[in-house]
Amino acid sequence: MSLRLEGVSYRYAGSTATVLSGVDLVVERGEVVGLVGANEAGKTTLCLVAAGLAPATIGGRLVGTVHIDDLSTAVARPFELAQRCGTLFQNPATQLSGTAPTVWEEIAFGPRNLALPLAEVVARVEEAVRLLAIGDLVRRDPARLSGGQAQLIALAGVLALRPSYLILDEPTSQLDPQGTRLVGDALAALAAHANVGVLIVEHKTDLLAGLASRVAVIEAGRLVAGGPAADTLADERLPGWGVQPPAPVRLARAAAAAGVSLG
Amino acid sequence: MTADRPTGSPPSPPDFVLQAPSGAYLSLNPATKLLVAAVEVEAAFLVGTWTGPVLVLLLVLASAAIAGVLPRLAVIVAVTVPIVASIMLINGFLYPGAVDVIVRIGPLAPSVSGFQFGLQITLRLLAASLALAVAYLATRTDDLLSDLERRGFGRRATYVIGSAIETVPRTVDRAAEIVDAQRSRGLDTEGRWWRRARGIVPLAAPVVFGALTEVEERTMALEARAFSTPGPRTVLRVLPDSTPQRLGRYVLLLALVAMIVGRITGPLAVLP
Amino acid sequence: MAEEIASGAGLALATEVLGFVYPDGTRALDGVDLRIAAGEQVALIGQNGSGKSTLVRHFDGLLRATTGRVLVGGEPVGSRHVADLARLVGIVFQNPDRQIFAGRVRAEVVFGPHNLGMHGRELDERVAAALQAVGLTGSEAVNPYDLGYSRRKLLGMASVLAMATPAVILDEPTTGQDARGVARVREIVAALAAAGRTVVAISHDMTFVAEVFPRLVVMRAGRVILDGPPAEVFGEANWPTLATTYLEPPLAAREGARLGLGSTPTEASLIEALLRHVA
Repeated sequence: MSLRLEGVSYRYAGSTATVLSGVDLVVERGEVVGLVGANEAGKTTLCLVAAGLAPATIGGRLVGTVHIDDLSTAVARPFELAQRCGTLFQNPATQLSGTAPTVWEEIAFGPRNLALPLAEVVARVEEAVRLLAIGDLVRRDPARLSGGQAQLIALAGVLALRPSYLILDEPTSQLDPQGTRLVGDALAALAAHANVGVLIVEHKTDLLAGLASRVAVIEAGRLVAGGPAADTLADERLPGWGVQPPAPVRLARAAAAAGVSLG
Repeated sequence: MTADRPTGSPPSPPDFVLQAPSGAYLSLNPATKLLVAAVEVEAAFLVGTWTGPVLVLLLVLASAAIAGVLPRLAVIVAVTVPIVASIMLINGFLYPGAVDVIVRIGPLAPSVSGFQFGLQITLRLLAASLALAVAYLATRTDDLLSDLERRGFGRRATYVIGSAIETVPRTVDRAAEIVDAQRSRGLDTEGRWWRRARGIVPLAAPVVFGALTEVEERTMALEARAFSTPGPRTVLRVLPDSTPQRLGRYVLLLALVAMIVGRITGPLAVLP
Repeated sequence: MAEEIASGAGLALATEVLGFVYPDGTRALDGVDLRIAAGEQVALIGQNGSGKSTLVRHFDGLLRATTGRVLVGGEPVGSRHVADLARLVGIVFQNPDRQIFAGRVRAEVVFGPHNLGMHGRELDERVAAALQAVGLTGSEAVNPYDLGYSRRKLLGMASVLAMATPAVILDEPTTGQDARGVARVREIVAALAAAGRTVVAISHDMTFVAEVFPRLVVMRAGRVILDGPPAEVFGEANWPTLATTYLEPPLAAREGARLGLGSTPTEASLIEALLRHVA
């Protein structure tokens, strides 16, 4: 069981520019795969395609195939995809339903869409709340949250769908260090205990170093490197691709350049 | 949250989600509140010359007081009155064919009947808009949506209604942020009015652009949350309704029709 | 670049027992005493909701002190108009989409300096220098909404830099930026510093603040709990205090402590200490 992109190229509707070309990527259930690259290299587009939102919802032209388990995104309907694959984009303000009066109801939005029994809706909301430690926010108005808080709530709303896969586009961009750690821990726990496959786009390579088993690098729409996280994140070409290596890698490199050892 | 639940009973949403609004007006079913507002709006225009608007205004203020939304209503009055009052002035000075002109100043002919007509229109518009405002202020959007869903409205229709209503406060919030950003760039919002007027575009454009660029992202986010699943959604809470209220709504519906008949056939038109 | 975006002197900013309560009753600031000298660069760090953004909004009058007072250039802010204070303090907000209104990149950048009365050649130069500083030279005629989020964010920064205010406030300038974008922000702060302008930045990136700012102010629940150079704030003695607000010193500081090299908050200081140690 896996989420697979095979020979994927994509261009947006009304545009002649190919944003992704020849992308092959597999995310197995139970593993966290990191995706890094410079801005406008195609990370968000890859997320859209992997989740099946492109081309199903926003149009455009897709070459190659995307499968979520045995379901091809070319033929699946959006709500079928949503149950298998939770997707979260960068701007938390647009990821919330905009009609829920409290955070609790915002998180319940997805499970309610699935018409689950009330007891099941409640159980899922409570689980997501516990996982992200947001119990003190449940009564708040979602429209009046800070960017970081909204980002956590949006993630909780996706987790409450209990998808087999998660596709997360910079889910910690507005979070403080504590919030970032929390999200990292929650994703690790989901992968390890709930067998969720996670594809995560991150500039924070330090987070990926501790979380991802594999990391892929995207540059101008192509995957230019990929493999075990420790290897890819130590790749000397990373800065050239617009990616900051994790702090331990940078320190070790600086020490080596100065001819000293960190012991 | 889960700890104090007796074992065995199925989990239910927390109290702050379940709790129904209390109080004579707030606890009315959203559909009842909407119908009351509709009857009030109609009465403000169709009943008599002064009777309708005056009665409706009194009724609206009373229900606002009961619902505890008087302070927020005051804000709406402050915004509405100047606009509506300008209609009164225009009518006062330019009422065509008035025979009781007070004094003639060139094209301007202020007349008693003009001012009376203007005042009437003002009262009617004010009564009608406040009736709608009270219904809006005293109904949680989500309650209205739950109720619509329960009555078999499709989820898309419900969502469109909900997001349309929520657009108002959200736009206000966003506009406040934009005003801050542009003031920090030297846009004068505290100075003379003609300097302030120049600032309309930099203030309005991000509201519009922002809303437009967000539509696609929002659509995708809804899809990603299984919004297009066919069939009804899970109901979180059933809103209070009662047989008297249900009967009351039939009476209100009848009143809507009766007022039109009464106006056309005469009895309501002859009231003062 | 440095000279062009950054000519002119700095500006002192200060608060005296500043308290601020939002209309809904939330107490966001609780007696903040802070003195920032003209030409100083300071980073504000702390959890989401600790009061950092609320604090900086007092420096151009967007928020008014509930208690205590705010001084800009040594003068109490009192009821001075935001439009006047905008000549002195420029704030780059977190979300560029809450400010961008123009149909062209250049027009967006022109707006601020034009409001301040700049025109002609001076205006052209300011705008060109600001665009160059953020790497948007050549995109003058592009529609801002055709730029990606990270470049719109840099555009937001350019439009405030072009106002050439003696003090510049950056609210989370590095969020969503890739390595190149972060490097640009560092260069911009360095250029402003070299020209003696005052810079206050809010950031969650401990490595960034330690390497770029000579002074760090740590906030928690509306109060300042630590204030000093990175070597002091990230020194081992302060780790328990940092932990109370869930902040962790950068890796270089932790490594330095582990190796018994003293406080080494930056990569360079750690390497230097290592070299000294070996010698």
